[in-house]
Amino acid sequence: MIEALLQLLLNGAASGGVYALVALGYTLVFSVLGVINFAQGALFSVGGYLTFLLMGGKIGVNGALPGWGLPSGLPFWLALLLAAAGSGLIGLLVEQVAFAPLRRRNAEPLLALITSLGAGVVLVNLLQLLMGAEGYAFPQSTDALAGLPDVLVIGGARIRTIQLLLLLISAAAVLVLSLWLERSKGGRALRAVAEDATTAQLLGIPSAAMVRLAFFLSGALAGLGGGLIGVSVSLPGPYFGISYGLKGLAVLVLGGLGSVPGAIAGGLLMGLAEALVPSAASGWRDALAFAILFAVLLLRPSGLLGRRTVEKV
Amino acid sequence: MSQPLLEVMDLSRRFGGLLALDRVNFAVQPGEIFGLIGPNGAGKTTLFNLISGVTPPSSGAVLWRGGAITGQAPHRLNRLGLARTFQNLRLFEGLSVLDNLLVALQRRPRSSVIGGVLNSANHQHAERQRLDTAWQLLEELGLSALAERQAGTLAYGDRRRLEMARALATRPELLLLDEPAAGLNPAEKDQLCELIGALRQRHQLTVMIIEHHVPLLMRLCDRLAVLDFGVRIALGTPAEVRRDPQVIEAYLGTGGSAS
Repeated sequence: MIEALLQLLLNGAASGGVYALVALGYTLVFSVLGVINFAQGALFSVGGYLTFLLMGGKIGVNGALPGWGLPSGLPFWLALLLAAAGSGLIGLLVEQVAFAPLRRRNAEPLLALITSLGAGVVLVNLLQLLMGAEGYAFPQSTDALAGLPDVLVIGGARIRTIQLLLLLISAAAVLVLSLWLERSKGGRALRAVAEDATTAQLLGIPSAAMVRLAFFLSGALAGLGGGLIGVSVSLPGPYFGISYGLKGLAVLVLGGLGSVPGAIAGGLLMGLAEALVPSAASGWRDALAFAILFAVLLLRPSGLLGRRTVEKV
Repeated sequence: MSQPLLEVMDLSRRFGGLLALDRVNFAVQPGEIFGLIGPNGAGKTTLFNLISGVTPPSSGAVLWRGGAITGQAPHRLNRLGLARTFQNLRLFEGLSVLDNLLVALQRRPRSSVIGGVLNSANHQHAERQRLDTAWQLLEELGLSALAERQAGTLAYGDRRRLEMARALATRPELLLLDEPAAGLNPAEKDQLCELIGALRQRHQLTVMIIEHHVPLLMRLCDRLAVLDFGVRIALGTPAEVRRDPQVIEAYLGTGGSAS
């Protein structure tokens, strides 16, 4: 009983951690540009598939190059890191294609919702062309994870190692990012650009470069999430990131738009609530997630930790 | 005359059908305090926006030490030595007072991203130097006691001084002040006047200042330009401008005299 509960909580916290990663990705771009990057879910997929390929996975029969794969797989850690960086670069590309041209023309910022959604659809379709629509399981089981056992026994409870790793890695990523934003020179500059890009630029900060940095980090967070979920569950198809993207969006609103602690708290709350849905009723999981969202927004329209009013100068 | 620090040549800006600035010319000499006056809507802030790179001009040129800088990005102009404040303050309200200054000190002294990640000795030294400079400026503008406060919570006069400190932190040669005395009481206006004079000495500044309060400008400025409906109608020392019939008519009201 205790064992089941512990496993349940860990599962919840683990998927909550991934939701927090996705929501933080949204937060970075939102705080700098005041728009949502709807390609975030697609970047999540990209991260999953990149991790798969980097770990030595082979392309399936419906893919563009059936049977092709890296001659030898990289270790899990390295693959995850490189896949995150790769997703970050593709996030940069999304910025160049879907956001930068609109900004140069001083277009209505809302238009970026559509262009980024379009960029996301294109990315997912490219994935489908390259990899096929079939699902993939990761090449080796979790014992490839730096030689860790599949199952750990903690206090008599048996815990899936990968879930623990998921939680630890997302926690580490979130922690490093928050510290960087709060303490470092670059983080300070990014916060300044988020508050007022023109003024930051008048003070000598290259705002455009900081915007690109935000997109890179945001894409890398989504890619990291995709890789983690891929390893722990599987890759059910190129669209799998989209549902995480939507969940991340719900978490973003739940926690409060633009709030970093809000994204983390919202992610954990969402993950834990989902985990408490009995498996017999698992079809209701998403419904529950959004019911929570509605309930919180009725009571606190600005989200759990959001500022009362979002003001944009 | 020596080489002007800043020159504005035939500068125009059109917003749709409105000609906000119409072929404006003047030159600012190094070390002087140059005032800009004119009724509301005369185009003073537009002129600041063109000089600081916030808005591109429709035609004309801006020269910095004789070289064209027209239409350059604000962060490049800032690196050249140009900084400004805003009429309706634009502080980073969510950041602390100290952080507002540290953002502006970002580029000086240079330290690399790699150094930051490795927290190298060089990087630590640079960060310490930035902190020292920030505290010095806070001291100078009487803000040290407020360093940890969130900028959005400061009293109005303190915010004005913080914005000046932040502009100074980028170590400008030319400081553009957009109505720095707006909303201050007479005593504060006097203090501000002294402060601007003192800052010019200590930081070897050239200052351009927009102000509605004519007596303050007359006292503070070496020279003045007068704008009316986007046209520069007068240029000269306070005494000259005061006597100019066109100024008296357009700005001070017919038959009136500058108080």
